[in-house]
Amino acid sequence: MISPKYSYGWKENLQISISAPFHLNHGEHPVGRFSGTMPGNPEAEALLAWRFLHKLTGVATRNEATFYLGGSATTQSLPRTDGPPLEREPNVYGALAAAHISRRYYLSAGAGYEHYGQWSSGKLDHQSDSLLTSVVIGWRPPFLDHDYPKPDLRFFWETTGDRIGRAWRDATATATTAGGGGGHIHEALIRQSASGSSDVIVLPNSGGKGIYSGPTFLLTYRNMAFQSGFLVSLWDQRNGTQPAERFQAVVGVSYFFFGGKR
Amino acid sequence: MSVLRRVALAGLLLGVTPLHAEYLRIQMRVYGLDCELCARGVSASIQRLNGVKSVDVSLKRGSVDIALKPGNTFKMSDLRKRIRENGFRSMEATVTAVGQFNGSKFEVLGSGESYDVSSPDSKSDTPVEATFEVR
Repeated sequence: MISPKYSYGWKENLQISISAPFHLNHGEHPVGRFSGTMPGNPEAEALLAWRFLHKLTGVATRNEATFYLGGSATTQSLPRTDGPPLEREPNVYGALAAAHISRRYYLSAGAGYEHYGQWSSGKLDHQSDSLLTSVVIGWRPPFLDHDYPKPDLRFFWETTGDRIGRAWRDATATATTAGGGGGHIHEALIRQSASGSSDVIVLPNSGGKGIYSGPTFLLTYRNMAFQSGFLVSLWDQRNGTQPAERFQAVVGVSYFFFGGKR
Repeated sequence: MSVLRRVALAGLLLGVTPLHAEYLRIQMRVYGLDCELCARGVSASIQRLNGVKSVDVSLKRGSVDIALKPGNTFKMSDLRKRIRENGFRSMEATVTAVGQFNGSKFEVLGSGESYDVSSPDSKSDTPVEATFEVR
């Protein structure tokens, strides 16, 4: 997945970000949140971050807590083997994160919930809601504790947990396509939709739970930041016949514009 | 508008020849600077303030060292505001400025800012250069 993202520091404690991830090859994985500030689905997301707690406790030391609120709309359909792509509706996302930061250590914990709506197209397809939790411990070794302006390298150990609900599909739409889809309709649970107007099929090969953990790093120099990491699966309980997600890897490049008023 | 600050230490008077009133140098402690990008951001932001000649940020000391151009109209209040807007907290500072003593105040005339001083009351008719600490 590739995810361009633009963030703008609007006020001291207010930031707005726009990201638009898209899949190059989705594979067969549960669809949850990619990170606290980035969707895991191909959708355009606007995210407002409000740092409501910001205590500067000393030289190079601070405690902070941030509330995130975002909304997004689908930009790309994800293929499924059990039928046509789901017609996913826009979603809302809320998260809370807190961190302690110093020159030597970094500690943060957070959780976010993403909820997909069912209100616009008249179809009852529903993408799974998801919960993402994260704990990050960071360390800057003394021998890398250089003064500005030198490259700044920090190492982290990240552990994430996600819980993704089962998606469901409009039963009437499935009935017309199931013959050619070769899917798993016979395995599906059928239940009444929230509106009570029609039935939906809960997709057995969707959603699940998992915990991932591993090392990452962040290197900043001048206006650039490079980050990368490799998280392995500690626990993977995917619903149905979805393949196990054995690892997660990320590579990120950021450029910072230090513009502003005179 | 006059801005009053506590001056913990009376300044070292370096001369009594007539000078333009202005800030010359500010060494300020800043809380919260913990990364290279933080330093770069606050440095770039201060650099855009009127009259700033150079900015030197130290992450290890948690400080910014600002040299100012001659004839500037720089204000300490603008500096503190700029640091706050970048998400950091300005703390005590060692200031070198040209101004006039007026009773228990040292007035940096070009800026409209003045500082309470703990030295005996004095009055100077001509601007003098002084270095003092501001909390």
